[in-house]
Amino acid sequence: MTLYLPIAEMPVNVLVFLGMGAAVGFLSGMFGVGGGFLMTPLLIFSGIPPAVAIGTEAAQIVASSVSGAIAQYQRRNVDIKMGLVLLLGGIVGSVCGVQIVKELRQLGQFELFVSLAYVIFLGIIGALMLIESLNTMRKARAGHAPSARRPGQHSWIHGLPFKMRFHRSKLYISAIPPLLLGGFVGFLGAIMGVGGGFIIVPAMIYLLRVPTNVVVGTSLFQILFVTAVTTILHAIQNYTVDIVLALILMIGSVIGAQFGAVAGEKLKGEQLRFLLAGLVLLVCLRVAWNLVVMPSELYSITSVVGGH
Amino acid sequence: MADPKEFSNKFRRRLADANRNVRAIKPQQVRAALTGRNAAFALGAAIVVILIWIFNAGRHEDPATAVLRETGVAPPSAIVEDMKEQQKPVAVPIEDAVPDQLEARQPHQAALAKKPFHNPDYQESVEVDVSAKSVAITAAFSGQRIVVFGAVHKSLQASAEQGLYDVVVILEGMKTPLITRRKSNVAGLWINTKSVEFANVPSYYMISSTRPIEEISTPRVFDAHQIGFRHVHIEPEPGQATKMSEAQLNTFRQAIVRLKAKEGLYQKKQTGVVFIGRSLFRTSIDLPANVPIGTVVARTYLFRDAELIAENTVKVQLERQGVEALLYSFAFDYPALYGLFAVFMAVCAGLAASALFNRGSH
Repeated sequence: MTLYLPIAEMPVNVLVFLGMGAAVGFLSGMFGVGGGFLMTPLLIFSGIPPAVAIGTEAAQIVASSVSGAIAQYQRRNVDIKMGLVLLLGGIVGSVCGVQIVKELRQLGQFELFVSLAYVIFLGIIGALMLIESLNTMRKARAGHAPSARRPGQHSWIHGLPFKMRFHRSKLYISAIPPLLLGGFVGFLGAIMGVGGGFIIVPAMIYLLRVPTNVVVGTSLFQILFVTAVTTILHAIQNYTVDIVLALILMIGSVIGAQFGAVAGEKLKGEQLRFLLAGLVLLVCLRVAWNLVVMPSELYSITSVVGGH
Repeated sequence: MADPKEFSNKFRRRLADANRNVRAIKPQQVRAALTGRNAAFALGAAIVVILIWIFNAGRHEDPATAVLRETGVAPPSAIVEDMKEQQKPVAVPIEDAVPDQLEARQPHQAALAKKPFHNPDYQESVEVDVSAKSVAITAAFSGQRIVVFGAVHKSLQASAEQGLYDVVVILEGMKTPLITRRKSNVAGLWINTKSVEFANVPSYYMISSTRPIEEISTPRVFDAHQIGFRHVHIEPEPGQATKMSEAQLNTFRQAIVRLKAKEGLYQKKQTGVVFIGRSLFRTSIDLPANVPIGTVVARTYLFRDAELIAENTVKVQLERQGVEALLYSFAFDYPALYGLFAVFMAVCAGLAASALFNRGSH
């Protein structure tokens, strides 16, 4: 069953991409992550132009985060003020990212840039998660309770100006770190086709010291709106959002996510993180492999950007 | 005649039945089916599939090649072999090599603007038509077969088997600028380093002939009319600051043909044109599903004794139609609205999914 994608300008097998959406959705439902970091490389490996993969993936992340964001909002787990500050930074970062995607596409270095970004970020995050989950597992086996993090510690972050009061997070900190964090995640989202949850959640917990119950809701709030903005910007600047492809992936992933969530309940937190870390590192290795091993075809052709 | 009211009632009843059946499935039942071993099995299967995918995707040969072989199309490797020979200088008699090279290119530019070529020394002419003057690219487009057929006017041939005439049919897509990039190893990473922008690369090129074109005529004629992959004029964009030698440029040209052939966009059928009777000939050409959208020109050349007698061209329009055309023009004419629509659709899909799966669980 093939369908011709209007923007990617290629015929694809619908069942293959539905399956891909379902498989990634399953994993994202199980681990509670967006799945963008998995879906974008898969799309690129299966022949979708990298820029289209990223633009389309942004739309898909909107779909997968909207229901979560609303549920969290209803449970009053969203710090709107913090979310808005993050969002402001995120929009600026996204605008920069989309512009950079445009420039790099013209230079022909976009694929390299995406690959490097993936190798670096997935490598770091995957390694950190792996170490953390192994440590937790070892401690659990030795009988120690995992040490709770000590609140109230002051770091250099507390010395910055423009302090703001974030009521729901029970924080009184400078607006600069959340602004920068939001900007960084927005930028990454625009160039990598990810929501950025794997960066924003640990950063909010460990750097900003936002209470854990607020972190998920607030980060979902930021991701939802930033990816929405990124989708629109990609559509305007690069014409790379393929609605048909996005719809196929959405259908696959929402169904897969339901099954994944059930499977996730059967596993312990650190086991999940260990598996997720392994997966992240595998994707990282696969992307790195393409960069390091001599390709069988050294040449590539692209039509001139904007040549429509 | 069926009463429309009766029909709509019947439809409504069907819908109500279906709705009731769906409602009868409780989310708990779906979840219950996923307990324990089933969930673990699904997890394992998903991981295995993903792993196979990650390490296998994009490395296999394209499956289109096998299909092409069945339809009498030479495999891409044949075209690649063809191009390799280009590195050897084409043996042209010295006395007319230089003027010919110059002459060969200029008249062609003129010929494109003028009427189709006809050799005044011969009485024969050629008339051609195609089975479809316009092809609709819809969401379900998966390629289309086009039959190019024609007749030799005032044919001197006694029968189809005599083989007095040779016919070459070329289907050529729009000529567009194209950037070719070459990777090289920089500090252990394979990075695009060199690039050349070519001005006029046919987006699609299919050549079908009565026999291999090398047997039909001379490179000089082919060069003048851009017949065959070795004779299509692929030149760098003028005003480009490239300090590349002709040999280097040639490797880039070969890469274009090789890559296009792999995509199935450059094809050749060495015995694709068949004569039926004294003057009638035909060839069938399969437009691939990934054929670039635009005008495709079918050029037909009639040869006798290695001499070009007549030429004729017919156009085939490839147009987006239906939802396909709508979405494309939406995306490019109103990009901001299109982006908003994409977000709106995503939000709806997300909400619909959560409504569907969480109904009754709260």
